[in-house]
Amino acid sequence: MLSEIGSLVLRVYLIRALWTALYAHNPAPPNLPLHAIITYSTVALLLSLIFEVDGTRQLREKLRLGTIATDLLKPISIPGFLFSDGLGMTLLHAMTVIPSLLIALLLVHVDRPATAGAAAAFLAAFALGYAVNFLLNFCMNCVAFWTLETFALQLVVRWLSDLLSGAIIPLAFFPGAFQSVLLHLPFAAVYSTPLLIYLGLLRGQQIGHALLEQAAWLLAFAAVAALAWNRGRDRVVVQGG
Amino acid sequence: MVAQAWRIRLLTMLEYKANFFMWFAFTIAYHGVAVAALGATLYNFPSLAGWDFREIAFLYALWMLGHSTHNLFFFSIGDVPVYVQEGTFDRFLVRPRDVLFQIVTVPNQQWPDELALAIVWFGFATWYAHVAVDWVFLLAVPLIVLGGVLIDLAVSLMVATISFWFVRVDTLRWVVMSLEQEFTRYPVSIYTRGVRILMAYVLPYAFMNYFPAVYFLHKSDQGLTVVPWLGLLAPLVGGLWFTAAYAFWRVGLNRYQGTGS
Repeated sequence: MLSEIGSLVLRVYLIRALWTALYAHNPAPPNLPLHAIITYSTVALLLSLIFEVDGTRQLREKLRLGTIATDLLKPISIPGFLFSDGLGMTLLHAMTVIPSLLIALLLVHVDRPATAGAAAAFLAAFALGYAVNFLLNFCMNCVAFWTLETFALQLVVRWLSDLLSGAIIPLAFFPGAFQSVLLHLPFAAVYSTPLLIYLGLLRGQQIGHALLEQAAWLLAFAAVAALAWNRGRDRVVVQGG
Repeated sequence: MVAQAWRIRLLTMLEYKANFFMWFAFTIAYHGVAVAALGATLYNFPSLAGWDFREIAFLYALWMLGHSTHNLFFFSIGDVPVYVQEGTFDRFLVRPRDVLFQIVTVPNQQWPDELALAIVWFGFATWYAHVAVDWVFLLAVPLIVLGGVLIDLAVSLMVATISFWFVRVDTLRWVVMSLEQEFTRYPVSIYTRGVRILMAYVLPYAFMNYFPAVYFLHKSDQGLTVVPWLGLLAPLVGGLWFTAAYAFWRVGLNRYQGTGS
């Protein structure tokens, strides 16, 4: 907890120092004044405190240790269990978001959501992003059914998705064609969409489209996750004792 | 004896070839994401306190050389707080060899992949940033890398020693790691005065890459750089900090009482 807050203070400080220096000597990009980019980066940082809780990591441990065998005998849905357990961990973790936000507010000014409508849409987009992120993590951990050791792979995917989801920098900073592709990848559904709604950069109909796209990714990943889970469960090989 | 320890480690590594490729992909992804984020940012904002992307790439490459060399040889010092917490540190004390030597040679999964990548990236960045490769450069770079290794080593040794007294040093480790890995990506001149002084003269990470880069790229720095060739003092700063850290470590070892667990 204390180490999280310590690293958060440094990161918020870094956000302020970096963007202030960048905006001091360069023309501001359209629609993105300094206070907007600082809000974007700080809210992204707070979202990452929630998104980085990976309840499905237990699946990998269960597969490695072989305890999955007894879990499969129980009359429960394991994916459902992982989701509820992850949600519980997230809620506990969300408690750290409040002191973190207060500390962040001492260092930077964070704008409020653009409008009341934007705030409501942000919450909806955040919930959808949370579900997409859960399913993405779940699929990654299902890889352990086949290879057992997935730690390095997971970190690689985590870093790439941080970059491609707009968690580090807004996707608008990527060059033209690449940017249009990124905006429609599932990674964008996790960070970029809620954040753009928060800042009021998506409005009216655009919000509806963005939410629909998130929902579409949610369904697609749910299908992949169900397939991976069923295939994986059928070939459980418990190693050793 | 050092050679023997390294021979054993090399043989162990060769036993896990598949792991090597996995960790190599991991290393490339980590640095690739960092450099791509810098690239995309500077594509939109061409000047960061007077530094362009080419110069930032060189700044990153210098840090990467020192950091990866340190990790290859001394990574396990970062585990000392864990050994102290778990009470496994005591076994190093009863064996008839130098404690630091034993810790440095604990078998671990540190491959030379990061260093190899650092050398390639440094070669590229030197060309890309139009750095003049003369005899001063060829002579100075190995010494600056040595200085960088000693600075990294000194700080991790101090954190390890502090854990003798304050068993749990996670927060300190996080803060130090974040300063070393994230704050070194940008010119130190973007920070406020307190942080600049911290980076230059308390945990002297600025000597790993910022001051040497100021020298090689002929940049001007406001406030901290007393003389343009300050960066060439990196090995001296590293040596001083390491000497101090080692003395502190010896004191800590004599006072070490264990956690009783």
